[in-house]
Amino acid sequence: MPVITVTQINKYIGSILKNDRNLQGIMVRGEISNYVKHFRSGHVYFTLKDSESAIKAVMFASAAARLKFEPEDGMSVIAAGSLGVFERDGAYQLYVNDIIPEGAGKANVALEQLKKKLRKEGIFAEEHKRPIPPMPKKIGAVTSLSGAAVRDIINVLSRRYPLGEIYAVNAQVQGEGAPESVCAGILKAEAAGCDVIIVGRGGGSSEDLSAFNTEKVAYAIYNCKVPVISAVGHETDFTVADLAADLRAPTPSAAAEIAAPDITLLYEKIALLERRAERSALSVLDKSTDRFVALNARLTAQSPENRLKLTAERLSAFDKRRDTAFLRYMDRLERQLEEKAARLDSLSPLKVLSRGYSLVYKGEKLLSSSEALKKGDKIKIGFGSGGAEAEITDKW
Amino acid sequence: MEEKLTFEDNMTRLGKIVSELEKGDIPLEKAVELYGEGVKLSAACRKQLDEAQIKITEDDGGMEK
Repeated sequence: MPVITVTQINKYIGSILKNDRNLQGIMVRGEISNYVKHFRSGHVYFTLKDSESAIKAVMFASAAARLKFEPEDGMSVIAAGSLGVFERDGAYQLYVNDIIPEGAGKANVALEQLKKKLRKEGIFAEEHKRPIPPMPKKIGAVTSLSGAAVRDIINVLSRRYPLGEIYAVNAQVQGEGAPESVCAGILKAEAAGCDVIIVGRGGGSSEDLSAFNTEKVAYAIYNCKVPVISAVGHETDFTVADLAADLRAPTPSAAAEIAAPDITLLYEKIALLERRAERSALSVLDKSTDRFVALNARLTAQSPENRLKLTAERLSAFDKRRDTAFLRYMDRLERQLEEKAARLDSLSPLKVLSRGYSLVYKGEKLLSSSEALKKGDKIKIGFGSGGAEAEITDKW
Repeated sequence: MEEKLTFEDNMTRLGKIVSELEKGDIPLEKAVELYGEGVKLSAACRKQLDEAQIKITEDDGGMEK
């Protein structure tokens, strides 16, 4: 039997594939996963899979550049190309020259269906979300103990919350058996008496995160007796674990920050309580002082000395009022007298005579008419100053 | 006795004392007593924070990986 080299066998298989019309210029339906675009060459590598099987695929930069969309993991597509052998690795793969999208990816559809089902069952219900204890005593971390996530959680909590205790449970976070392992970890942390549990892992592809997109894990989180914070490192879609958790954190570090308060805040809280205690104690003291001052003032006001002073003051006030009232009365009398004298003066007959009028008497009788006079009567005339006697010569 | 109480217990008690003081309508003697207790509690809380040391337990449960 002739001995051949590895290269020869790979080349031979390659030539068989190339000459098989069933493997050249074909269309393959599948779902894209592990999609990677090599940043320098522009070549695109991915796996095309269906529910049972997978095949490696490569698309060279020239063909990839013609695509009108950006393929992504989970997308259902039809890939057009030919089968060939990658001789270096002895692997066959689909050399793709075009990709046609086929609606939403199948895995995506399944995930959406699972989310819909769980939502219907109330696993994501807001009413079920429990508050994170403000000062947890024991914080559970369910993740891979060899991963970066657990280091991040320990680092953050050591720095921010030395009061606490961390109970880190190892869980397999990807691959076969991961969902069961995560569920078991949650139960262990719960049994260990944790009062809040962080469940998660660092970022990864959608396949790496698939354990966190399972019904089992969603239910384990939902059924956990203490609040659960999900920390599945990814930014776009929420996993079902995120939706079932009481709180979602974007990364394990963020989860640790949410799980417990920062010690500096606790120091501030103490200082604030101290200030409030001092202020209110002082205010009680102030109030007592004010009451004392007020009572003391009322007391001194009632001392005999003060009362005498008060009476004397009142008396002198009476005196003053009496004096002013008397003076005012006298003033008024005086004014009235002056007015009357002035009026009397203006009415005096002497005043009239001084303006040229005269008084005429017959005997002792003052006359106001010539009626009683006859020729030859003697009359007396009184002037403003002096008088005269006269004889009537005529009358009318 | 204070040593046995957790930080949270002490903080809760301190909070209650402050609320009591803030009611304001308490006798002066009571206020002085509460304030004294509050000062002691806040010192105890601060000490607990100063001396806190995180405790870490890793449970790999005989799991591979």
